Parts: sequence; C-alpha cells; structure tokens
Amino acid sequence: MSTPQQIEVPSKLREEIEAHMALYPDSRSAALPALEAAQRVHGWCSPEAIEQTAAVMGVMPAYLAAVATFYDMLETEPVGKHSVYVCTNISCSLRGADALHRAVCDTAGEDPEFNVRSFECLGACDIAPMASVDGVFVGPLSLDDVPRLLDDVRAGRPVLPDKQLSTRKVADPNANTHDFPTHPAEGSTA
Amino acid sequence: MTQVLLFKDIDEPGLNTLDVYAKRGGYESARKALALTPEEVLAQLEASGLRGRGGAGFAMGKKVSFLPKGSIDKYLVCNADESEPGTFKDRELMQKSPHMLIEGIVIASYAAGANRSFIYIRGEYVHQADMLDAALAEAREAGYVGEDILGSGHSLSLVVHRGAGAYICGEETGLLDSLEGKRGNPRLKPPFPANQGLYQGPTLINNVETLATVPTIIRMGGEEYSKLGTDTSKGTKLVSVSGHVKRPGNYEIELGIPSREIIYGLAGGPEEGREVKCWFPGGSSSPVLEKDDLDLPYDFDSMAKAGSMLGSGAIIVVDDSTPILDVALKVAKFYRHESCGKCTPCREGTNWTVKMLERIDDGTATPMDIEIMASVQEHIIGNCLCVLGDAMAMPIGSLIAKFREEFEEHIEQARIRNGLGAAVVSPIPEPTHA
Amino acid sequence: MPRPQPRTIVFTIDGREVKAPENAMLVDAAKLGDVEIPVFCYEPKLGNPVGACRMCLVEIEGIPKLQTGCSTPVKDGMVVHTQSPRVKTAQQAVVEFLLVNHPLDCPVCDKGGECPLQDITFGWGGGKSRFVEPKRHFVKPLALSEKIAIDRERCILCYRCVRFSQEISEDYQLVLLERGAHSYVSTFDGRPYEAPFSGNIVELCPVGALTSRDYRFRARPWEVVDGGTVCTLCPSQCNVTLTVRDERVMRVLARDNPEVDDGWLCDRGRFAYPALAENRITEPLIRDGGELRPVSWERALEEAAGSLRRSGDSTGAIAGAGATNEEGLLLSGLMRETLGSPHLDSRTTGKLPLELHRALSEPKLQATVPDLEFAHAVVVLDCDPIADAPILDLRLRKGVRRHGMKRVSAAREDLLDDTKRAELLDTLRAAGPKEGPVEVVVLWHERLCAGPDGERTVRTLLDLAATLGLAGIDGAGLLEIPAHANGRGLREAGVLPNAGRELGEVEEEGFDAAGIADAFAKGELSCLYLLGVDPPAAGGGTVIAHAPFLTDALREQADVVFPAEAYPEKEGTVTHPDGHQQRVRRAVRHLGEIRDEHQVLAELATRVGLAVSA
Repeated sequence: MSTPQQIEVPSKLREEIEAHMALYPDSRSAALPALEAAQRVHGWCSPEAIEQTAAVMGVMPAYLAAVATFYDMLETEPVGKHSVYVCTNISCSLRGADALHRAVCDTAGEDPEFNVRSFECLGACDIAPMASVDGVFVGPLSLDDVPRLLDDVRAGRPVLPDKQLSTRKVADPNANTHDFPTHPAEGSTA
Repeated sequence: MTQVLLFKDIDEPGLNTLDVYAKRGGYESARKALALTPEEVLAQLEASGLRGRGGAGFAMGKKVSFLPKGSIDKYLVCNADESEPGTFKDRELMQKSPHMLIEGIVIASYAAGANRSFIYIRGEYVHQADMLDAALAEAREAGYVGEDILGSGHSLSLVVHRGAGAYICGEETGLLDSLEGKRGNPRLKPPFPANQGLYQGPTLINNVETLATVPTIIRMGGEEYSKLGTDTSKGTKLVSVSGHVKRPGNYEIELGIPSREIIYGLAGGPEEGREVKCWFPGGSSSPVLEKDDLDLPYDFDSMAKAGSMLGSGAIIVVDDSTPILDVALKVAKFYRHESCGKCTPCREGTNWTVKMLERIDDGTATPMDIEIMASVQEHIIGNCLCVLGDAMAMPIGSLIAKFREEFEEHIEQARIRNGLGAAVVSPIPEPTHA
Repeated sequence: MPRPQPRTIVFTIDGREVKAPENAMLVDAAKLGDVEIPVFCYEPKLGNPVGACRMCLVEIEGIPKLQTGCSTPVKDGMVVHTQSPRVKTAQQAVVEFLLVNHPLDCPVCDKGGECPLQDITFGWGGGKSRFVEPKRHFVKPLALSEKIAIDRERCILCYRCVRFSQEISEDYQLVLLERGAHSYVSTFDGRPYEAPFSGNIVELCPVGALTSRDYRFRARPWEVVDGGTVCTLCPSQCNVTLTVRDERVMRVLARDNPEVDDGWLCDRGRFAYPALAENRITEPLIRDGGELRPVSWERALEEAAGSLRRSGDSTGAIAGAGATNEEGLLLSGLMRETLGSPHLDSRTTGKLPLELHRALSEPKLQATVPDLEFAHAVVVLDCDPIADAPILDLRLRKGVRRHGMKRVSAAREDLLDDTKRAELLDTLRAAGPKEGPVEVVVLWHERLCAGPDGERTVRTLLDLAATLGLAGIDGAGLLEIPAHANGRGLREAGVLPNAGRELGEVEEEGFDAAGIADAFAKGELSCLYLLGVDPPAAGGGTVIAHAPFLTDALREQADVVFPAEAYPEKEGTVTHPDGHQQRVRRAVRHLGEIRDEHQVLAELATRVGLAVSA
C-alpha cells in the first residue's frame, strides 16, 4: 500500500480540498465537499480519487470509501459525464415520472456521455415530473421534451431554458395546468 | 384572508440580492434584535409560539432555551436538507430570499449564544446553495455575518455545507454526523443535540422555514405573531401541495384553515371528473387521510387528532385513478432506499415490506400476506433508533388499514392475471339438478 | 485521573429489587439481579453504546416508548420490565428481522453451538419465520485477510468489528460500505485487512460472519475443551483461553483480565499456535559424530550432568523467552548453589548495579497497566509498544480516547539532554490538573539500560520519577517492558549476575549475558547452560540447551538439547511487568517425550551431586 506521502494529488484538487478543510473546526467535516471535488476531477469516486482525497485530508481511504458509498450523489462506479436525475418519487410518479424516466433512458440509449438515474424526491414537486440535469432543475417535462433536453446537453446549451425551475414564479396561478396533464397516458405501473 | 409574511415579496426580481432585500426592510429585524439582550430576543421567540417547521413541530423558543448558558462553543445548524417527498418550501425560500434565512440565523444565533453556524443544504439543491453562497458573501461584506455584527459584540461564522444525497441527513443527528464528515447515521439520543451536538458541543438545529420566520417575529413582535393561526399552531405556514392537483406549488397559509381550502381553493384540486382518493398531509411519512378528512383544519393538533401529522407541511394528493398499491410501493421503496442500515427493524423492515408489496403486485401473494405486512409495520413502529422506520411504517400501516379491500382485490386480480388462480376460492355452488 | 466510584442504588427489575452501581447500563445492572437482557451490538469494551441492533428493548415505567437497555443508565428507583408482552413482542420482532437476511446455515457454520444469534433466537425469538422472500446474497466466503474469512450473508450488521477497527485498534481499515439493507462490512478497495490486532474481530462477531481461517471446520464447540493460561510469547502476558481438541490447540481466544489485556489479544498471540506445534524437538538430542542425534532421556541427562559436574563454577547460564519463575529459581539454585557459579543472567543489556535494580522495583514506584489508561500523561520512553508489548498499545489508545490521557513519546536523548528533559517535564506538568498531583506513568523498555550510557540513563529516569514525585502519587509510576516475556520474574528469581532471589545480595558477582558469551568464546567458561535462548557465541566448551525448536545456532553449537515445552504445555508461574504473578496452566499434554522443564532442572541438580535448596 502506498503511504499518503507517495500519492500524487493534482495541485488544484489539493488546494480545493484544503480550502474546504479550513472552513471547519474539525477538518474531517470537509469529507463531502472534498469527495465531490475529487469526483469532478476523476469523473467518479474511483479508488484513486479516494486515495488522493484521503492523502490530503490525512484520513484512511476506507473512511472515505464508507462515506462515498453512503451518499447517492457520490458515484462509486464509472458513470457518464452528464447526470440526468429523473425524480420518480411519489409526487412526480403520480404525474408520469416513470414513463418519463423510461423515455430518457431509451432516448439516451447507450450514449456514454449520460448518467441517467431515477432519483428520489428532488424537492421540486411543483414542476412534476421533473429532472435535474447537471444540477439544473427542469420541469414539468413532457415526453416530447426528452430529445431536446438531451440535445441541449450534448450541444452544451442551457437545458430547456423555458422549463428551468429558477425562472418559475412562486404564486403562479396557472402553474402546470397546461404544461402536463395530471394523468399522462402511461403513468401508472400497474 | 391569510396574511402573507414569508412570501410577501417572494417574486420580486432581485430579492435574492442584499440591495433589494434591504429595500424591503431586510436586516431591520437583525438590527432590532441585536440591540436587545439575547434573553429579550429569546422571550420574543417564546412568545411567538412558533413551532418547528421541519416536521416534528417542537416549540422553537423552547429549543433555543435548552442550550446551556455560558461561554462555551455553541453551534447553530440550519437544516436545509429538505428531502421529505412532497416538500419543496425551503427550496423556494433559499433560492428566492436567501437573506431572510441568513438574517434569521443571525438573530437566532444571538439568542442562543452560538458563534458558529452552518447551513446543511442537500446536495441536489445546487442552484439554491449557489444563491445562499452569493447572499452570504454579500452579508459578510455588509457586516451582517462575521465579527462584532453591527457593533453588538456578537460574532458569527456561517458556512453553507452541501450534502451529497441522503434523506437520513434530514434527521437532526444524522445531519450532525454528516456535517462532521461521516456517514449520516443517526445517533442514539440522549444526549440530545442541545447538550452534545456538533463536535460534541451544544447545538441548536432548526429548519429553514423556522429560521426564516424569525425576522418576521422580531419585526411584528412575538405577541403579535402569536395572534395568527390557532391556539396551539401559531402563525403562517408554507405548504407544498403536489400530486393530483391542478396547481401544484407552495402556498403560505394561516394555520388552521380548512384543508379543503388548500387542496381545492389554492391548488385547484384534482382534474375534472376525478376525486381525492387519499392525501398525505405532511409529506410521504405521514399516515394518509381520506376524502372525508378534507374539512379538517390544517394545523398540528387537528392532523394529529385525525391520526396523522402536519409534518413538513407537504400535502400530496392522490386521486381515484391511482391504484393504492402503486402509492404504497413508491413510499416503501423510498424508505428502503434511504434507510441508513444502522438499526435492525428499519433496515430489515423496510426491505421486507417492499418485497411483500412486490409479491402482491406480481401476483404471488395471498391475503394472508396483508396480515403479515400489517404486523411488520407494527413491529417497526417505536422500535427503531430514529424516526425513519416509523416514517415508512406509519403511512404503509395507514394504507393497509384504510384500503385493505383494494389490496385484497389487487392480490386476487394479479393472481388471476398470472394464472395462479384466486387465493380465496368462492364456495362451490350447489350442484344444480336438471 | 479520578476513576469512577459509582454509588449503589436500588432499582426494580421484573418485580425484584436489585442493587446496582448508579448509571451502569441496564443490561449490565440487570445481570446483578440474574436477569439477562439479550444484546448483539452492545459491547462496553468498544466504547459508547450505539443502540443499533435493538435487541435489548425493555419497558421502563414512566417512559412511553420501549428503551434500549444497552444505553439506558440505571437510576435509583427505576422500574424495569423485561418480560412484559410488549417487550416480548419487540424482542421477537427484532429476532425475526435479524433472521430475514440470515442464511440459517447453522449446521455448516463454525459458530454453531457458540453463537449468540442461535442462543438469542432460541431464548427470545418467536420460533418461526414468516419471511418467504429471497434473501440477500453475497459471494462467500471471502478472505478478509490471510487469517480471517468473511461471510457477508451471515452478518447481522451489528457494527462490532468496524467499531473495533475504528475505535479500538484505530487502524480504520474496516468499514461499512453502502447503506440500508445493502450495507456490508469491507475494506477499502477490497484490500486485505492487515493490522496487528485484526483477529479480535473474529471473537467479537456475534454470528459466523467472521471466522478464523485456521480454525474453520476444525472443531465443533461440543468437541473441545477450554484451557485457561497465559500467553508468554511477549512480556504483555495476555490471558488466553486455548481451545483444545484431541490434545491439540485449535484456537486461542482472549480471556479478559482488565489488569493485563482488557480482553484483547494481538494477532501474534492469537495466530501463532499452529507454529507452536510444528517442527518441534520432541526427544532429547546429543551431538554424536558432529550431528545432533536423538537419545534417551537417561543418556541426555547423564551427559549433561557429566558436563556440568566437570565444568563446575566455570559454567555460565542464560535464561529467557517464556521460562517460568520456577525454572528461574531452579536454574539459579543449580548455578549458585550446586555448581557454585555466579555467571547467570536473564537480561540482555548488561549489568545494572543492584541498587538500581532495587530502586526500579520499589513497590511504590510500580505502575500498573490500568494506570496507563487513567494517568494524566504517559511517557512512552524508548519503546514501540506495538513491537515490544502489543497489547499495551491498545491500552494507551484507550487512555487517550476515553480519558484524554496525554501520550508523550520520548527517546533516550530526551532524558539525557538537560533542555529536552526540562521540556519533557513541562509537557507532563501541563497535562495535569490545575491543582493536585500530576499522574504520570513512564512506560520504558529494558533496552534503555543498554550501552555505555545505560546506567546514567536509568539514574536520570529515577531522578525524573523523583522530581515528579511518582512514588507518592496513586496511579503514577514506572512500568518496564522487559526484553523477555518473563524478564521480571527471572530477575526476581535470581537469574542475575549480581543478585539472588528477590534481588538479594550475593557473595560473588558473575558475568552478565554478554560477559558469559565472551568468556565462553575465550574458553574461560567451559559449559553454557541455556534456557529458552540461542547460543550467543561459539566456544570450545559444552552447550546444553532447553529448546522447543531446533534453530541453526543450536544445530551448529549445542551438545545436549532437551526438548522444551511451548507455553500451552507449560505449568508454572510468571511475573507480569507490573510485578503481579500469573499462573501458566497446562492445556495440552507434552508432545513426544517432552518433560516438564522444571523437572529436568531438578533432576540435573540431583545428578550433579548435591541437593538443590530452592
């Protein structure tokens, strides 16, 4: 096994992790942001990414492996660069999220650029069904939106700008009523 | 007509900036509070009767008062890990009015004597965390956060800490472990966080909405605020309505208004031709209520009396087009996925429940399995380390209790569909003689 | 540091009033009333309770929800029920939940027959399962390390092993990966779990998930007998239980002695037993025609007695390893009284003036192993506990972790250099309370006495102890790790060149170990008698050795070799580094023609011609 001193860490990653560590009375608190940073660099929390993070933080790699496998957003297998989390929890599924998730999977196909996952409630049931595309919440999505969503990502454009949550007004009396039927054709799993 | 307090200027363009927030009276409450003694601020919070908006509904002022006095390191942690399915109110506050939360934290930390604070925000809320970070930079620059705030002698550091996707980190002790850089396993209580929380120090943990309400309480005065709502559920509450309604969204209501007014009046109710089959009054972990319960006042006590809970204030409406088994499976699978695995009843009970529901769905169950499933829920409730196990067992238990016939029907239909034959065979008809 | 002195309270459990120390956890307090509350995850040695398994739920009057007995401190007047229908339902529920994913493969499981999960299922379970779904599956068994196999299907996720790795040995290699029902115990990236105390997790495991690969499928609990003894492979002298089947040691388990090992065992102590039974010398050997050849006891004894008789006072003797106090006494008697030779030693670092030996073993200055835990500060002086006395490393870690003991590492220079010594003193004083005495323990190794500076260093150590007033402070003092497992015992038995029994004066001083080797090489000594050690040098005289294994040095130089016992075969006493005696008991019979070593020594003394006055 290599000792922490023998592990080379990209200097930018080291700096970022150290900056996080400095924010807390106990530097171990930086485990999540540090792993997130390493994941950005390595594409996933690979053993190498974990060893580098552990070396900077001065903890055992096993400690960080235990942490990384606990959290849904830390990937412990190689994945596509662009994450598409389709919320399939109760509120979204009532409005057709399972069909949406299938459509995104089918349309993305085997494209290695994408990491399509069905995700637990993302906290945006007001735009159900919805997805988080590289952290940007979009919805309500219809099945017709799927090709455009993926194309926007591929082209590096803002994803579905008209459907981004950040533009939505809170007290919009017409929210959702026209965008997506409350009963899509194939919403139920039964 | 409900008073709009938290959402007053919510759609104002630029409210997320200090400039606009300050023009709308932002940080006036902080100024006012820091001119008082911490005891006086605490008295205002206690007088307001504000109950925690995260789910448990514990009196906020009381929680602050539990922290030991004296000059030890104390912490304030804002629980922004909003993950209860159906809940999205805190998200709205953080992305649109982040300064309101920061101001609330400044005031609450002053009352609690805490000098270090953290906002633990779920990792999925990328935009919201960015907005908070930007607002925090402005607040620091303007001297609302940092050393000797507004010349009061009160100092406060604040860090926005991003989670990485785990529902259990919304449980306060799971959150603390996660914030300490560990797996988000809930801790054994006691000790309670007020005595031994973050880094073993006394810690005040409050939900986003609770803390964001604090500036309003200081502005209005605790007494005045307490006139809103009902005797035991004071003030206004943000309610997230989702599922089968025409206008899903966040609504600010005065506690105690009829539930029907929220579901039908504000959110538009189900589509034409559909009826409410059941509804979760406080996120997916609350036992479901039915159509007949729609006229109950929406407040902590009425929901509890009806056998459910107000929880996080997330109403999920399910209409009569949805098979109840689908609802049960979604709920159970969610909690199985989110169980941390530390304690036995939750880890194994959620797992077992999902397996039983799947058998019901694929037609290999018999009605006897409903008994077993109901008993498994009973065996989970009250026996777990934290509330996650109960969070599945209570709604599943309520679904079984209230929709048993539909479960039985589902079992029979699925068996017949799969060619297994009915589980409960009808009596053989008397032979007919010609 | 003040050690807990709880007051006694009275509480009621299942209708009976029971006295218990206040704030003891209910599961422990219950035992005082002969009530057993079942547990899986609770193990006080692992630190604070975690309340994970939920097996110990009990009903306490005045508290609406059932409480975990493992984490509820007992209070005066508390009324507890462990037999109520509510409690029974909860206990049966937890057993049922635990078995949901357990394979129930008891007939082929090594743990069967000594398995807490079996026992608790039998005692507290509902007797039937309603779970018909498929269970969770893992590849099994896997090698967790060279010594340990892991069967993840049997694991009930009680956290004991990972808590040991994280909080006791602090190697932090063993963790729980994933979450919920998918959680499993593992290491980083599937690497082997390699750590000095890894074997303890096998004993901690309450099911058959972690098993010793050496012991796997070797014996069933009802086929074995237990033998309690003391491991003399190092000066820690951990108390062990040997699992014996058909006169063979099949396994070594820890036997909790808070004064010695705190219930832990190092991997060497745990896993060395197969090697102790292999390649042994099982009959007496004599050099014949240039080679060692097996002979009868009579011939070997006669040969040795003859050599000793001829050599007389020009005999040298060195003892070490696991030689017992009785062997030491007999050896010093044989040497001093029978042969009239003063040349015997059991130390490796040269002669230390008798006054220093006496000063160092002054009773008031002796620290104990628990003192390492409760002291304000411990100076780890010129030693590496992991290598020198592994189990003490765990005690030091415990002191730091649980009681805030300050662990200070120091080398010989830190004593000898005035500035550094002053700094050390400052550090130690700063670790103490604002008022009152500072409890300091100096943990040091015999090697401190070595070299030309040795004597001066020991004097400085005694000065330091005097400066800190250690002799007058409870819980403070010196604790020496001798070079040999029973180094202290042999010394006190008089196996020293300048002291007799109990460090008594001797008329004539002899050579120390190095001097003996030197004199033997030069021909000044004509016979060398070795108890558990290798020949230190070649010489023209006769070498007589007691040895369990034939080493290269013996093969080349020994003239008579008596087959010696390994510790599982030994009977006698040893002296712990803190001065208290421990009993080594025979657990398996002698291999081959091996005889008691003390018997051999006594026999020799008789044959040499005079009675031994022991």
